[in-house]
Amino acid sequence: MNVSKDLVAASATPLILAILKENDSYGYAIIKRVKEMSENQLIWTEGMLYPVLHRLEEHLLIESYLSKSEAGRQRKYYRIKESGLTELELQKKQWEIVNNALARTWNEESNS
Amino acid sequence: MFDLETQIHSWSDHLRARGNLSDADIHELENHLRDEIEDLIVAGLTPDEAFLISVKRLGNVVAISHEFAKVNTESLWKHLLVDPIDSLAKQLNRRDITLVVIFALLAGTLFKIPELFGFGLLDQDGEIKIVFIKNFSFFILPFISAFFLIKRKSELKTWVTILGIFILAAVIINVYPSFDPHHTEVLTIFHLPLFLWLVVGATYIGREWQGSKGRMNFIRFTGEAFIYGVLVMAGVMVLFLFTLVIFQAIQIDVQKFLAEYLLIYGGCAAAMITVYLVEAKKSVVENFAPILAKIFSPLFLIIMAAFLIVMIITGNSPFMEREFLIAFDLMLALVLGLVLYVISARDIRQPANLFDYLNLALILTALVIDGVALSAILFRMSAFGITPNKLAALGENLALLGNLAGLAWLYIGYFKRKFDFSKIIKWQTDYLYVYFIWTAIVAFIFPIVFRFN
Repeated sequence: MNVSKDLVAASATPLILAILKENDSYGYAIIKRVKEMSENQLIWTEGMLYPVLHRLEEHLLIESYLSKSEAGRQRKYYRIKESGLTELELQKKQWEIVNNALARTWNEESNS
Repeated sequence: MFDLETQIHSWSDHLRARGNLSDADIHELENHLRDEIEDLIVAGLTPDEAFLISVKRLGNVVAISHEFAKVNTESLWKHLLVDPIDSLAKQLNRRDITLVVIFALLAGTLFKIPELFGFGLLDQDGEIKIVFIKNFSFFILPFISAFFLIKRKSELKTWVTILGIFILAAVIINVYPSFDPHHTEVLTIFHLPLFLWLVVGATYIGREWQGSKGRMNFIRFTGEAFIYGVLVMAGVMVLFLFTLVIFQAIQIDVQKFLAEYLLIYGGCAAAMITVYLVEAKKSVVENFAPILAKIFSPLFLIIMAAFLIVMIITGNSPFMEREFLIAFDLMLALVLGLVLYVISARDIRQPANLFDYLNLALILTALVIDGVALSAILFRMSAFGITPNKLAALGENLALLGNLAGLAWLYIGYFKRKFDFSKIIKWQTDYLYVYFIWTAIVAFIFPIVFRFN
């Protein structure tokens, strides 16, 4: 099933922050991780991911650094910052509110 | 054979050329592409298959840069409010066109000013006065320089330096006396424009005039400007002849008017329009000079090889009058032009191709032919003495010879994989200094050395 574009865009920030909270990572690996965790339901495109990463960096939620990969290539890694962690907590609460509300209404639907 | 590295490079070049992506963005995307390719190769695909699929997955370049612009809210805002349909570019373009019109009018009027004081362009025989020919470059090149100075937003210091050079050159040239048979004056006529064109080059390149990238761009610009200039000037001539003929049909002779106004203003306008066109299209269309060079370099090689073989078989040594030495100068200049414009269109990262070998063959043949010619002229010079013309022709020959010999040596080293192609480009762009200095010497110092005769 295709998740709508708006929903993908809205969930991008918390997902990226959550992944970076696990450990530092880079673009290609983030896309793979998202794919894996959503059981192939969420497939991000590069054109979407990198601009979001850059925007998060601009807002000082994450920071980037260059580091050599196993293959000896310069790669741009991203690391979550303190403010990113706070933002993630905030987003978590917001998503919980939405999630709870949706769950309750849907429960009422099925109960009635 | 499929070369993955080259393919990846040309992919990122493509990205660089199209999108409004920064170098860091491109580097990141390139890394992404490599990760994708590596994974696919691990999964059992061949490199070329992996490359194709990865590129496809990344999406086409336009779409990527579009997405970037979309998500980047800041630039989205600019696109929507401040920058509707590229208005900044449009404004700049309007300004450039205004400049072109004003400068063309100014340059044309500058030609007419002496006439106001009873000093016409033509003498009694209808020939253009030598003073005008000598000063020809000062009527148009300063305006081209000014155009670039404005476009590049140059600092006041640069303005002063460039203007200073033009004024100083003009004063020197006109203060110098000239005696029969005017040899040094004629030499000045030929060398001054080249010297001043290189000054224009400095304004064209702007801030990075010391880097080889900017200079290579100027070399490309020169080639394109030459081709465009010839075409635009041909248009002016057609207009001229057409007007002449059509007015003749009703028995009105407009030749004098046309020669005095249309040719002068038309010529100035042609020069300014050429500069504007080449500057504006720079990256839009493929350059034409390299295509011409590629068409003609094999043909020139055949002719020159034939000449060399015939010269050896018949044992006829080139008869060394000055005219012939100039012919050999021209040969070297042509070969240099062909080689240069083939190089100018070359991607540094591409491996050596057929045209590189053709270039080397062309240079080597030219060097051998010129070696024979040079030994003849040196012999004659020692026997018959030095004149300014001979010395100038010899100097040109040596300057070009040095340039080509350096190129040949670097090419051979490049084929042997001793160094990479950027070294050839650096040599060529650095060598512009030699031409700058040599033309300055002939234009300004020769007259003194040879006592203005």
